[in-house]
Amino acid sequence: MDVVFQYHHDRASKARVGGVLGGIIGKLLNVSAIVLALSGVIFVIAGFSIGWLVLGLAALPAICMEWYRGELKKLPTSKKPQNISDVLAGDILAQLAEHPTPKSIALAVGRVFGGQFFGARFGMTASFLQDIASESPDDTVGIWRLALEIREQTRVNEITAGVLVAALVKSFPERDGVLAHLHLEMDDLMNGIRWQDHLEQLIATHTTPGRTGGIARDFSFGYIPLLGRFGQNISERGGLLTVDLEAHVDAVDQLIDTFGSGGRQNAVLVGPTGVGKTTIVHAFAKRLLDATQKLPESLRFRQVFILDAASLVAAAPGRGELENLIMQVLGEAYSAKNIILCLDNAQLFFEEGIGSVDLGNVLLPILEAGNLRVILTMDEQRYLQISQRNPALTNALNRIMIKPATRAETITVMQDQLIVTEFQKKVTYTYQALGEAYNLSERYVHDLAMPGRALKLLESAANYSQNGLVTMNSVQSAIEQTMDIKVGVATGEQEKDTLLNLESLIHERMINQTRAVQVVSDALRRARAGVRNQNRPIGTFLFLGPTGVGKTELAKAVADVYFGGEDRMIRLDMNEFVRNEDVVRLIADGADDPSSLTARAMKQPFSVVLLDEIEKAHPNVMTTLLQLLDEGILRDIKNREISFRDTIVIATSNAGADRIREYIDRGYKLQQFEQQFVDELITSNQFRPEFLNRFDEIVTFQPLGKSELLQVVDLILKGVNKTLATQKVSVTVSQDAKLFLVEKGYDPRLGARPMRRVVQRAVENTVATQMLQGRASAGSTIEISLEQVQQILGTESQAQAITADAAQDPIEASPENSQETPSN
Amino acid sequence: MFIVGMLSWWYSAGWIERAKLIKERIARTVDYFSINLLLKTLFSPFRQISAGKVNGSIGVKWRAFIDRTISRVIGALVRIVIIAIGCVTIFLHCLLGVVTLVVWAFIPLFPFVGFLLFISGWTPVSWT
Repeated sequence: MDVVFQYHHDRASKARVGGVLGGIIGKLLNVSAIVLALSGVIFVIAGFSIGWLVLGLAALPAICMEWYRGELKKLPTSKKPQNISDVLAGDILAQLAEHPTPKSIALAVGRVFGGQFFGARFGMTASFLQDIASESPDDTVGIWRLALEIREQTRVNEITAGVLVAALVKSFPERDGVLAHLHLEMDDLMNGIRWQDHLEQLIATHTTPGRTGGIARDFSFGYIPLLGRFGQNISERGGLLTVDLEAHVDAVDQLIDTFGSGGRQNAVLVGPTGVGKTTIVHAFAKRLLDATQKLPESLRFRQVFILDAASLVAAAPGRGELENLIMQVLGEAYSAKNIILCLDNAQLFFEEGIGSVDLGNVLLPILEAGNLRVILTMDEQRYLQISQRNPALTNALNRIMIKPATRAETITVMQDQLIVTEFQKKVTYTYQALGEAYNLSERYVHDLAMPGRALKLLESAANYSQNGLVTMNSVQSAIEQTMDIKVGVATGEQEKDTLLNLESLIHERMINQTRAVQVVSDALRRARAGVRNQNRPIGTFLFLGPTGVGKTELAKAVADVYFGGEDRMIRLDMNEFVRNEDVVRLIADGADDPSSLTARAMKQPFSVVLLDEIEKAHPNVMTTLLQLLDEGILRDIKNREISFRDTIVIATSNAGADRIREYIDRGYKLQQFEQQFVDELITSNQFRPEFLNRFDEIVTFQPLGKSELLQVVDLILKGVNKTLATQKVSVTVSQDAKLFLVEKGYDPRLGARPMRRVVQRAVENTVATQMLQGRASAGSTIEISLEQVQQILGTESQAQAITADAAQDPIEASPENSQETPSN
Repeated sequence: MFIVGMLSWWYSAGWIERAKLIKERIARTVDYFSINLLLKTLFSPFRQISAGKVNGSIGVKWRAFIDRTISRVIGALVRIVIIAIGCVTIFLHCLLGVVTLVVWAFIPLFPFVGFLLFISGWTPVSWT
């Protein structure tokens, strides 16, 4: 094909005429045709023969406008295209100059509807396109060549504005960067071209009235007063939206085969909620009423009624009344001879238990006889339950499985749904918002299948639009607000500051353990900068070390500083998961066990997951956790995928604590023995290598020395002062008293854990005594000296008793109370 | 170019397009009256009244047969009336379509015809 644009080509000339007639001149011609015709008639009636001339002249503007409507408005492509002008869309042809450059093509694209569509949906405005387009006329041929390629690839009939947008972008040398900035890929532009083409086709078919059987359609069929009352005729409810999904088309074909053949006239659509079962029934009803479709005669113009379970139950409260009513409704449907009944959410009709309805026994003989046409829809789980309870019932049904839509199908459904949603909500969605709705709903919405879950999120995103535009950020805001999580990249100054200063913020409540703090902080920064692997948790860490060194405290600090509070922590004491049967408790359904790991992660997907004392868990529990650590998902007992991809998973273990102390005592530094220590844990069978390999980092915490414990004392005092702030009293402890406290509170086996008890005894008791004695009043500062501390703690034996208490006290001994923070 | 383009469309694609529109309109009218459906079910009971099988004595069965026959007769009468109206309407649509297609060919000549009539000075109504 010749890729040189011919300005004087027949189509180009016609397009320019069309451009003129499509404007104000066209409107004037319309008016003049009417005025001339009316005047002519009046003149003729009045007896003036000039009226004939006026009437005849009215034909000229009328012919022009008929030509415009019939050909110029939507200029058809040439049957045998030989030149680029033969396949360029009419609206573009009308805008092109004699010697177009890529820049002038971009300008022309920006002026037509298709170009504006890409501007609004993809952020590729006319000015953007002009910025990336070359000014050299020599590059135009390259644009035409690319446009022809893209037209071929997308299988659209002509080179539309969308095709030219894609060609202009493709010709830009730095297109990858530009597309990445807009969160797009070339394939997305191809989808955009198909989307626009599909919309135009929808509009064209919508303006053509359908043939649905006419006034005599229902003449030979029976009256249906009961069905009119307890059912909804979905065949009468037409609409613009019909999405021919690959999976749905198959299901509708299967329904037609089932009802068109001589077998049992029933079908059950089985699939998860949100998959589109009801939509399939609507599509089936629509197909039956379309006279242009190829259908068995026994199905043509049959009508589908959805039975309303609630109104049926409400109308028949007495014992046995419902069964009678149902039989009457079914009898009416059978007698009418043109009805297909649909029991949507059919499980409602087969419930067991007090106050519920089980029509299985009533329906079974009817379904087995196969005379009355019935469609049932239900989810997989309920189908299995009914199948187990009443196998005869499910054996009598023709099952059609409905699978969730794929990504491409879901995007197509969303594109069609937007026609209604945008009209209702008065907003415009960008293409990027659709992709984001799919991604985020797949990760966070668990109660629906695709495409229902993406549509749900997309609708709620309309409430977060900016200036009427629903973008990726709107979708992120919608999920962040509804799920209380953070999914976007950090943009706020305050959050950026927090991220950049995470280490110092954590160290406000943590002493030492700089490496552990560093690796956790790095993981969080990666997550919020958008450079992490989205298909794994934010970070997975195994903290090893003796008790009281800050392992749990670091988890709490991260939950507090980054996730917004210590309650943002899902904590599991793995010593409660020591049996094989405990695996079930880990993945239990939230409705049965709200404390299971999966249930808590569903409720709070943006949090720290702390697996305390992991070495005590049963090997099968650890095996169950492998997928969580590897892919960030865990399947619950109902086989739902629960996402842990927005959590930081921290496992702690005291395993080998004595060995760490031994290394330290022998003068080794942490870095020198860390790898060897981990190897020892594997060889001693405390951990399996495949389990340890799943963690991003294995961090060994070193025991705290006395100098570090001195800092812990300061932290504890800070906490005491915070508590006393309500009494307007503050406390200071002399340095020698602090050293004494460290001396008395230090236990190499328990780390910093006994320290709090010692400080509490020494400081809080002194303060309490002084306040009761009236020696401390509001606004005063209590100074505690070494003598006072010595007096309180007394002898060495008393101090040892305190530390021994700390070791035995189950609450105090729990790791969460080590290195307690002032914020508490 | 403008005149040639317009007239060449008028007497080719435009004319064919007009014929398609007329055909579609007639098809919709046929669909609206659903004459083929009415013919197929000409003697079916009207609105399925008294259509079902009846078990019982011969008297009951005889009565049901009479009821069903009356229902069929009423149904057939109603359908015949609609078929008749439908046929007339479809015929009129066809006639209008043919006239439209014929007139279509002469519309570009209207200015000349008007001019000739103006020159002749003839009007259907004369006030003098």
